[in-house]
Amino acid sequence: MNSKTQDLCAGSGKTARGVVLATLAVGFGLPLVLLAAVLLLSPLSKPAMLMAALGAAGVNVSGWSVTGQYVAWIVAIAVLALILLSFGAVISGMTVWWEMRVSSRMQSRVGYNRVGAAGFFQWIADAVKLLLKEDLVPADADALLFRAAPYFVLTGFGLVFVALPFGESLIAADMNVGIFYITAVTALIVVGILIAGWSSNSKWALFGGMRSAAQVISYEIPSGLAAMVPVMMSGTLSMQGIIRSQGAWPWEWHAFTNPFALAAFAIFFVAQLAEGNRTPFDLPEAESELVAGYLSEYSSFRFALFFLVEFGNLWVMSAIAVTLFFGGWQVPFVGPEAFAAARGVGDLPGAAWWGLQILSMLVFVAKTLVVLNVVVWVRWTLPRIRVDQMMTLCWKYLVPIAFVVFVATLLWQMLIARLPVSATVSGAVMFAAAVVTALLFFRQTRQNISAVGDRVDFTNW
Amino acid sequence: MDKLILRRVDQSNEEMILNFGPQHPSTHGVINFLVETDGEVLKRAIPDVGYLHRSIEKIGEIVGYPGFMPYTDRVDYVAAMFANEGYAMAVERLLKLEVPARAQWLRVIANEFCRIASHLVGVGTMTMDIGAFTPFLHGVREREVINDLIEALCGARMTYNYHRIGGVAFDLPEGWRDKALAFLDHFDKFLGEFDRLISFNEIFVKRLANVAVIPGPMAVNYGLVGPNLRGSGVDWDVRRDMPYGAYPNFKFDVPIGKGFFGTTGDCFDRYYVRCLEMAQSSRIIRQALETLPEGEISAKVPRNIKPEAGEALARVESARGEMAYYVVSDGTNKAYRVRVRTGSFSAMCIIEDVSRGLMVADLVALISSLDVIAPEIDR
Amino acid sequence: MPQSVREYTGAIRDTVKSFWHGLSITLSYLARRPTTVQYPDRTPLPVRDMLPPRYRGFLEVDNTICTGCQACERACPIGCIQITLEKDPTNPKQRLVAQFDIDESRCMFCGLCVEPCPTGAIQHTREFEGTHRYIRNLVFRWADPMNPFPVYKVDKTAEYFPRAPLGSLVRQRLETLAWDRPAPEFLPPEPPKPAAAKPAPALKAAPAPTAAAPAAKPAAAAPAAAEAPKAPAANPESK
Repeated sequence: MNSKTQDLCAGSGKTARGVVLATLAVGFGLPLVLLAAVLLLSPLSKPAMLMAALGAAGVNVSGWSVTGQYVAWIVAIAVLALILLSFGAVISGMTVWWEMRVSSRMQSRVGYNRVGAAGFFQWIADAVKLLLKEDLVPADADALLFRAAPYFVLTGFGLVFVALPFGESLIAADMNVGIFYITAVTALIVVGILIAGWSSNSKWALFGGMRSAAQVISYEIPSGLAAMVPVMMSGTLSMQGIIRSQGAWPWEWHAFTNPFALAAFAIFFVAQLAEGNRTPFDLPEAESELVAGYLSEYSSFRFALFFLVEFGNLWVMSAIAVTLFFGGWQVPFVGPEAFAAARGVGDLPGAAWWGLQILSMLVFVAKTLVVLNVVVWVRWTLPRIRVDQMMTLCWKYLVPIAFVVFVATLLWQMLIARLPVSATVSGAVMFAAAVVTALLFFRQTRQNISAVGDRVDFTNW
Repeated sequence: MDKLILRRVDQSNEEMILNFGPQHPSTHGVINFLVETDGEVLKRAIPDVGYLHRSIEKIGEIVGYPGFMPYTDRVDYVAAMFANEGYAMAVERLLKLEVPARAQWLRVIANEFCRIASHLVGVGTMTMDIGAFTPFLHGVREREVINDLIEALCGARMTYNYHRIGGVAFDLPEGWRDKALAFLDHFDKFLGEFDRLISFNEIFVKRLANVAVIPGPMAVNYGLVGPNLRGSGVDWDVRRDMPYGAYPNFKFDVPIGKGFFGTTGDCFDRYYVRCLEMAQSSRIIRQALETLPEGEISAKVPRNIKPEAGEALARVESARGEMAYYVVSDGTNKAYRVRVRTGSFSAMCIIEDVSRGLMVADLVALISSLDVIAPEIDR
Repeated sequence: MPQSVREYTGAIRDTVKSFWHGLSITLSYLARRPTTVQYPDRTPLPVRDMLPPRYRGFLEVDNTICTGCQACERACPIGCIQITLEKDPTNPKQRLVAQFDIDESRCMFCGLCVEPCPTGAIQHTREFEGTHRYIRNLVFRWADPMNPFPVYKVDKTAEYFPRAPLGSLVRQRLETLAWDRPAPEFLPPEPPKPAAAKPAPALKAAPAPTAAAPAAKPAAAAPAAAEAPKAPAANPESK
């Protein structure tokens, strides 16, 4: 090896201590700071609380005009919006890193490990690289639409965070039509993709855009029907309302209290995979068929925006699933009355309340990360289905089953009204079945390792 | 050429002409397909070959007989052993040479390892074209062990140049046999895992079963060879039906497509025949390693090879099917004519017929199920 | 396509089953050690030392045991070996190797040149890292034209031929050459332009270029010959 090359790839297997520290600081610090900002700002951006907080901070709010109060409130909201978008971007980048780590291990590769400890800074390096690249617009493309398409996608993505819960009181706006709103704004993403496909003036991009439109619009139906099941079970469309109607323990989750809700979750999960263009439904950007689908002609920052949304969607998808089916942020042993008691009667909540908020946020983030990992895991296992099969799956399997589940849930709710104990029984039985299945699954996994003569070895992770 | 093809395409209606390649992730090399589509459905796909033509046959007339051997590696770089062997056998027939038994056995061992390696790439890229990336890398991981074995045997990982006119270049290195057997033990288990991971995956099966069916008679008419022919249910294997080298000494089955999940001759049959063949290759290697005779590894060959004027044809069962070398000698130390008959070329010919009415995604499956290698098409 | 109920439920069952197996296998790989190694800096040994002894890397010539028989040159299918022999002016019986060039950038590492070598002077090594900015740096000159080496007299009774450790010579060369070292100029310089570029005004001017051409050729060849000796060593003035 030439001495120059040696210099370029200096360093041994051991990562320097400073790099590890920096990685840990950024890897945990960045999301923690953002989550802390969300924690503080989402309650404080409610007008009454904001004024109380400003008053407590020594600002003479009573002297302000109504307009001044509005301006203060708008500023708080704007800061919260910025924080939420940054959170989306950061979590998307970190998902990319994590997905690459996981996938490489599944494929017996080492994966990212050069930039920072465990290659953690790779996503930052990639983002910087994409920002520095030239922003190309193809010669015969519809330049205006081509440039505008990423913003549609980003808008659809950003708007979801308005109604996405993070904790007991941690939500930008707890709308009474929360899940309906989320379904509506995510449809903007497909508009962006369709515009991108059309305006690129490339046949591959057009294919990708058309496939995406067909796919997302079809899968809205089973997705919406499946989302109706928890809505019916809780009697509200509000995200926080759906979570509040569930308990903290697994046997009190919507997924288990109703035997049909688990089927609904499966349908919802598949439909969300399809809407997020994830394998096995990554037809719009099918690499081996369409080169890069609707992304074919994009470069630089516009490409980065598409990419950000695609991976940020994993968080959104998982958070919605957790909200609807897995008890959201519900903390065991802490009921609504505990939250109310900790809040106290003053304008500003007490310290205990903030502690409970942090707990609920932790629960929610942990659950979401679990579901997110399942999505990543599925992607690196399954092949891609074909366009007609994608339609078949939607219209012949998901939609009919979703209707059956829908009607069955209606009947189940009638049964619960007569026999409230049936929900508890179902929860216990279903949860036990889930635990047994999981145990069997891990046994199978262990057997897989021994069957080919390998052994469990976590070194070099 | 392009104009000729375009003239055959009817452009009067709303159909779209798509240039599928030459720089496309799943054309397996530099091949272009002019695809006439109506939305997602193909009217037909016209292969346009020749991007990788390196006039290897002409080079055979310029360099001497032994000197052409490294060039045969480049005919099919995924399964170079067979190209080596075919040429060596053709020249041996010209020289009327008897190859020593140990050399024959070594040839079989090297060939079958190469067949496994090539099929691993074939089925691996197939899974990748269907959209699953993980099985491809699992296949490549196993192939890497074979590459290491072959590298220890002959010093190269890809362009082996292992066979020589009259024998082989190297004997087995020390400890090679144990390593090879250890790998085969692992490999047989790996095949089961691979089947569970991807071959019997419902999505994978649905993507391939009943897609691009090539019935047996059609396959014969188009001159398909090897796994593509056997995938169509035609029971033909040069190793068994026109035995050469040491093959008559080994017991092995010739797997044929039976319509495992659909019609006989669909993409899944062609795929799965390759999976089954890997197990058979492993069986052959075990037998060959057990019964490996002692002796010379090469016949006495003059340094300056000057065969009598005449012609010879050698057919070998390559990983991509029957590969034939036709060598004409005019009595000098250079061949008068070298002609290579490869399986991928006839596989390309059938694509236009079979691709009618497929979808774009099926075309990808069809191309990879035929396991074409671009340099083998164009040579 | 009509479907029976059995097919319908069977498809669902098969899907669940393939999820079960596929996901359990990919999960199990999370708990296994990866097989890839990280070239070039995180391998237990330098990669060249991990390669098998038969590895066909860069060719190496030990000129102390080269017999100058030119068998390798004849065996090479692409002609990337160039050998020139000349007589020793002081001793007419002694032949000298004045040129032994191997163009490693054209070599296809087939190993055909190694086989006919009577003494094993030309061998493949396990060196393979030869990235150079200028491809002409990969022409390895194993004989110094200014100081030709005498051919080796084969002792018929010799059991073996003493050879420098395999790979040491080529490694030494690769290590002393900077990867972005300027390449030697092997090609003759461009022929003088004015004579050719001048548009022929009339027929009577036609002989002029033809007369100029032979004159230009030696002029072009002379610098090339002068350049050649300096090529392998550190040649500061050629760029």
